[in-house]
Amino acid sequence: MLRVGDVVTAYGQLEALKGVSVAAESGKITCLLGPNGAGKTTLMMTVTGLLKPKRGSIAFEGQELVGLSPSEIVARGVALVPENRLVFPDMSVRENLEAGAYLRRKPAEIAADLDRMFERFPRLKERAGQSAGTLSGGEQQMLAVARALMSRPRLLLMDEPSLGLAPLIVEEIFRIVAELNRDGTSIFLVEQNAHMALKVAHHFYLIEQGRVTFSGSPGQLAEDEVIQRAYLGSKRG
Amino acid sequence: MMIDFLQSLVDGVLVGTTYSLIGIGFTLIFGVMHKINLSYASASVGGAYCGLLLVGAAGGKSALLVFLMAAAAAGVIGYVVYLTCFRFIPASHPLGTLMSTVGMLLLIDEIVVHATFGVPVAYPPLYEGPSIELGELYIRPDYLMVFAVGIAAMTVLTLLLYRSRLGLATRAVSQQPVAAQLCGIALYRVNAATFVVTGVLGGIAGAMIGASVGMLSPLLVLPLTVKGLIVTVIGGLGSIPGAIVAGLMVGGFENVLQYYRGVTERDLYVMLLLFVFLVFRPGGLFAAKSERN
Ligand SMILES: Nc1ncnc2c1ncn2[C@@H]1O[C@H](COP(=O)(O)OP(=O)(O)OP(=O)(O)O)[C@@H](O)[C@H]1O
Ligand SMILES: [Mg+2]
Repeated sequence: MLRVGDVVTAYGQLEALKGVSVAAESGKITCLLGPNGAGKTTLMMTVTGLLKPKRGSIAFEGQELVGLSPSEIVARGVALVPENRLVFPDMSVRENLEAGAYLRRKPAEIAADLDRMFERFPRLKERAGQSAGTLSGGEQQMLAVARALMSRPRLLLMDEPSLGLAPLIVEEIFRIVAELNRDGTSIFLVEQNAHMALKVAHHFYLIEQGRVTFSGSPGQLAEDEVIQRAYLGSKRG
Repeated sequence: MMIDFLQSLVDGVLVGTTYSLIGIGFTLIFGVMHKINLSYASASVGGAYCGLLLVGAAGGKSALLVFLMAAAAAGVIGYVVYLTCFRFIPASHPLGTLMSTVGMLLLIDEIVVHATFGVPVAYPPLYEGPSIELGELYIRPDYLMVFAVGIAAMTVLTLLLYRSRLGLATRAVSQQPVAAQLCGIALYRVNAATFVVTGVLGGIAGAMIGASVGMLSPLLVLPLTVKGLIVTVIGGLGSIPGAIVAGLMVGGFENVLQYYRGVTERDLYVMLLLFVFLVFRPGGLFAAKSERN
């Protein structure tokens, strides 16, 4: 469904991605694990069009995404739950969700999806009129996920949804990830929490210093080693 | 004594709506671009000139037509300012757009001076009629009209911001531009639209200033720029309610001091007011709420 081929993305002179190739299969949960600064967020920003790669291709359902604007990419069915959630702090929960549906034009369908989000995330319903900046970290993460879903993506990208959340909330987030996937959304998940990620992933990649260093299914590498490499990187110079 | 004070206060507050509009313009552009557009007041006066000159050239005399034309022309100027001073200037450069907008301020000013030979031009009042008497207080009808139009413009703007798709997009961009793009909102379009909308507001303000003073002069540009910035700072950068209240406040304050201390001294006190705010309330009237994040 998503094929990233040999992508190089640089900030000025610094190449944060040095030729990354990964793929996400339709109907599956794919995880990308790696230590701080490995380039995970850079990859998410490149796929969603916020950063332009210097080289490489990104194909979604056979169509090239490189060169498209972020809004064109959202329109094609790829949505990102960004790192640090990035909710609109002075807008109400409801307005945040409406912003997620910005490109859609059918009010009736949007209203129906809003109800579905409130059903799936009851805590958001209780706080529908409250400004998003006053929500707790966990609630903001739910809101960021729900906002991304409001664009009706076929592929949902998630950048460290467990970041800074209490273990109980992290479990809830992963339960939601599995649920969304069961309901038919393909998911590409970036994580540092290898333990939780490996429980839901069908396939995973390790990325270190801008390069993919492992690709396989969860059983293929000892969890200890994955955790070690996801947090600290392997000890290659 | 008391009545004189009240009279100048009321007059000042009524005309202060024009300052409010200019303040809102500065604030809105700052909200989405995080940059100050120094050419804004100049473009607003420029728009008011355009309205007058275009309608005059077509042989028209209607004050309403002049007014509408001023708003439309200022909207166009706003778009041109966006294209020339912001769209292609790297936002990461701290002074880039500041310099380009100073350049635009001077350019518009220069064009106006050339087009009018540096001579002030008469501006038609939007409304003429008898004064309204409230006890000993006289409410000038043209001032009242300025006030009414200003309030109407603010109401329309508020509806646009809080009840329309464009408004949602504008607020999204100003609060969290990365997330806004991820929602499919095109940054450039929202930015351009903001310049057009604030341009129209400025044109309305410019025309109302012309109408209430009875004439337009290029000399209006600099004081209006300074007042607009002061209103923006007192109201709190990025706060629309702040800009509205600060505009009325500065308008009233300035007129009262003009009455007691004369026109030459008045701006001194406005600066003093700004100073007091900068020292005691640097975040402005409605200092930003603290947020969890
Ligand atoms: N805006 C930027 N300008 C310059 N360098 C950047 C920028 N953003 C990221 N980098 C650099 O690019 C590299 C990859 O960063 P990236 O944010 O993609 O890492 P990450 O894997 O998401 O890390 P984390 O787990 O901490 O979120 C890092 O070395 C980082 O310092
Ligand atoms: Mg990251």
